[in-house]
Amino acid sequence: MTRAHIIPAALLACFGVATSAFGNALDGVLAVRSAYVNVDSGVFKLHARVEYPETEDVRTALGDGVTLMFDLEANVARERRYWWDAGVVANSLRRELSYHAVSNRYVVRDTGGAIGGRQDSYASLHEALTAIGTVDDWPLLVEPQISPDARYRISVRASVRRGRLPDTLRALMFWSDGWHRTSEWYSWSLPI
Amino acid sequence: MVTAHLKRFGSVALITLWVAIGAASLILLAQTAQNSAQFGRLQPWILLVNIIGVLALTMLLVRRITRLVRDYRNHVPGSRLTVRSVATFGALVVAPLLIVYVFSLDFLNRGIDSWFRVEIKQGLTEALDLSRAAVDQRVRAHAGRTEQFASSLAYVADADIAAAIDEERRARGALELALFGSGSQLIAASSAALLSGPPERPTSEVVRQVGEGRSYVALEPRADGEYYIRVAAPVGTSGIRRDPRYVMALYEVPPRLAALSEAVQRSYSQYGELAAMRDPLKYSFRLTLTLVLLIAMLAAINGAIVSSQRFVRPVQDLIAGTRAVGKGDFGARLPLPSRDELGYLVQSFNDMTRRLRRAREEANRSQAEVEHERSRLAVILARLSAGVMSVDRQLNVRTANESASAILGVDLAAANGRNLEELAAANPRVEDFLRELRARLGDGREEWREQIELPGDQGRRVLMCACTPLPGGEDEPGYVFVFDDITALLAAQREAAWGEVARRLAHEIKNPLTPIQLSAERMRRRFLAQMNAADAAVLERATHTIVQQVEAMKQMVNAFSEYARTPEMTVTRFALNHLVTEVADLYRAQNAGVALRLELGEEVESVEADRGRVRQVLNNLLANAFEAVEGRENARIGVATSLGGEAGEPVVTIEVSDNGPGFRPEIIDRAFDPYVTSKTKGTGLGLAIVRRIAEEHGGHVEVENLAEGGACVRVRLPLTEAGRTLAGRERRNDLRRERA
Repeated sequence: MTRAHIIPAALLACFGVATSAFGNALDGVLAVRSAYVNVDSGVFKLHARVEYPETEDVRTALGDGVTLMFDLEANVARERRYWWDAGVVANSLRRELSYHAVSNRYVVRDTGGAIGGRQDSYASLHEALTAIGTVDDWPLLVEPQISPDARYRISVRASVRRGRLPDTLRALMFWSDGWHRTSEWYSWSLPI
Repeated sequence: MVTAHLKRFGSVALITLWVAIGAASLILLAQTAQNSAQFGRLQPWILLVNIIGVLALTMLLVRRITRLVRDYRNHVPGSRLTVRSVATFGALVVAPLLIVYVFSLDFLNRGIDSWFRVEIKQGLTEALDLSRAAVDQRVRAHAGRTEQFASSLAYVADADIAAAIDEERRARGALELALFGSGSQLIAASSAALLSGPPERPTSEVVRQVGEGRSYVALEPRADGEYYIRVAAPVGTSGIRRDPRYVMALYEVPPRLAALSEAVQRSYSQYGELAAMRDPLKYSFRLTLTLVLLIAMLAAINGAIVSSQRFVRPVQDLIAGTRAVGKGDFGARLPLPSRDELGYLVQSFNDMTRRLRRAREEANRSQAEVEHERSRLAVILARLSAGVMSVDRQLNVRTANESASAILGVDLAAANGRNLEELAAANPRVEDFLRELRARLGDGREEWREQIELPGDQGRRVLMCACTPLPGGEDEPGYVFVFDDITALLAAQREAAWGEVARRLAHEIKNPLTPIQLSAERMRRRFLAQMNAADAAVLERATHTIVQQVEAMKQMVNAFSEYARTPEMTVTRFALNHLVTEVADLYRAQNAGVALRLELGEEVESVEADRGRVRQVLNNLLANAFEAVEGRENARIGVATSLGGEAGEPVVTIEVSDNGPGFRPEIIDRAFDPYVTSKTKGTGLGLAIVRRIAEEHGGHVEVENLAEGGACVRVRLPLTEAGRTLAGRERRNDLRRERA
């Protein structure tokens, strides 16, 4: 490495260290434990169990009034042999978790998808995260959208981030948003 | 040229890349500001664009600074000016940027800290506590009443339970009141008109808690901002039945209290979210500011370097152009940088070099013409048989041709710039020449043409010399002398005259001699017998004298006739040494008292010549030599032959030397003229005939007095027919001049 390459490399290293300073708030397990679909009256419905991180940082942040956003993304793609898979459906289910200080309860709110608008409260964080991680009968697609001769690949992944930030603040938090994590894809093919 | 284009293209490409990166960054930022949902997707790209921008600027800066430092160390012209400009401009830009950066950081830290003052946090917490207290009071009241009602139900018959529940709900203003049995089986319920549908099923939390014999009390926030108080209390088992039952009631918090509590909750939550972002926010601000500062500084310093280099480049071009002009290169044209003062300066420089180039071309052309003329003149002068020499007023030699050197016997080409006085000290002929010149120039005569004679050991030389003052006035005065050695010409003229005399003698004198002789003999025969003895004796002596003198005159006339006759050569090849030996033996036999020594070169084999005339040459030379040493003790005569070369042609030399008195100096230069002799007897035609025969063979004769006494005559004859040609003679003459 020549002298001319040292300075850019050092700057890049400093930049990497700086941006990773806030990256450990959501440590812990974040994974889709199980997922499957069943067909009910021609509608493919997704059932999934997701485990979200339950850390002291999360508990403290919620107690301070922070709202967490939990997204579950589900993609259905038609598999092709010599080309990339063709996307059929890409749905997203969002749930918010906040701590209601007056009632001393954790409030879970569905904000999107077919089952949006519902709100429940739980006495403990564990119950709230369990409820968030439990998805049943989430309609993904209908039978006319798929062909019986093709194979389809369903992929599900979950993500957590700190929500309800103003856009300006979100832009300013560009460098230091450590409250964002995404799980690995949980995928399987249809028909089995 | 191609490299310059590539560099220009690279610079334009870099600038375009940088502008594209900036534009892309701005577009991405604008899109994220309009739609926060795209932020997550565009975040990596924004990051990448900014990193690429910083890296590109940094690499550009490092490259420029490295090159600048290298140029500075190598003392490249203009590098110091560039460094000074960059340092000044950089300081002017960086210092304010750093000040703004430091103050901005401080301002941001203070501003953000002011948003999260302890008083605000304390006030929100207390407001929250107040809301909790207000709501808790109602919760506790509803809980106690519900527990009391649940206890009372233990003693109510099943038939009256529905009425009791409905009455209790109405009495307490509950939204819903229901009784659940084992397995959360609904037994009875009463709902206000506000709620539609069956009562909500108890949650697992409710079931678990009442199963443990404890009451469940919870304040449940609703999505619409209302608060419900849910109370579940187990029915006592001490009454008329034993199955586990519990009552679950739903109360509404008064809207005003709920709204206030919700407002406090919302404010607390918002403040909490903001407070949680304090440090990351400060960090982000610092990082963003630092990034902006970095980009601004990098761009500013890059701009300073580029602008300085663009400013200095014409100066560098001017320096390079000046150096090129200093080295004599007027062909370089500097590129015009702009239409400002520097551009005017470069334009003026280009005009100057163009004029200089034209002037030099004209000077070169003139010089070439002068050189051409000079070379032509030099060729002419070199081919001139006359000597040409120019001198200044102090008689310092300026120019001279080869003939001048040959005639004066000194290398005038090597003596350029030297005074004739110096040359005269080493060369007697030059000394004589200089004396003659001074004699005429001293009289104030600057233009003359006269014949001058130069005496010398090698013989008298006669020069026809012309003097002309050089043009140029008093500033560049001088003279040019044109002189020719006319010694040979005069000799030839004399020879021609003598030839004519000889022919006339032969014709005019020889004819009357025979009648005189015959007349004298007839007189003797006629009158001798008739005279007395005395007269007869007189007649006898007189006629004898007449006959004898006539005979002598005949011999003399024959000699002149021989001298004047037209040459008709009969060239044969013969052995020269053999002929020399033959002639020498003849003389040796006649002159026993003289030591005749032969030194015949073995390399001399045979020559192509007229044998009879060569014999005559030998005869004449040996006769002269023997006459010269006649009566002298220790008389010695040497005859030598040798083979040499002149102008690439083989030449045989016959050398006859003696230890006689030698030639008198006053006649040595005319020794080959007819009738010139230092002897008391002889016709004086011997050496003249020798020279004529030698010249007929393409050779020549030299004579000199030896230092140890005596004289030496050398006859040089070309060995072959080719050497006797005119060109061969010319080459040998040139060679003699060079030797001189």
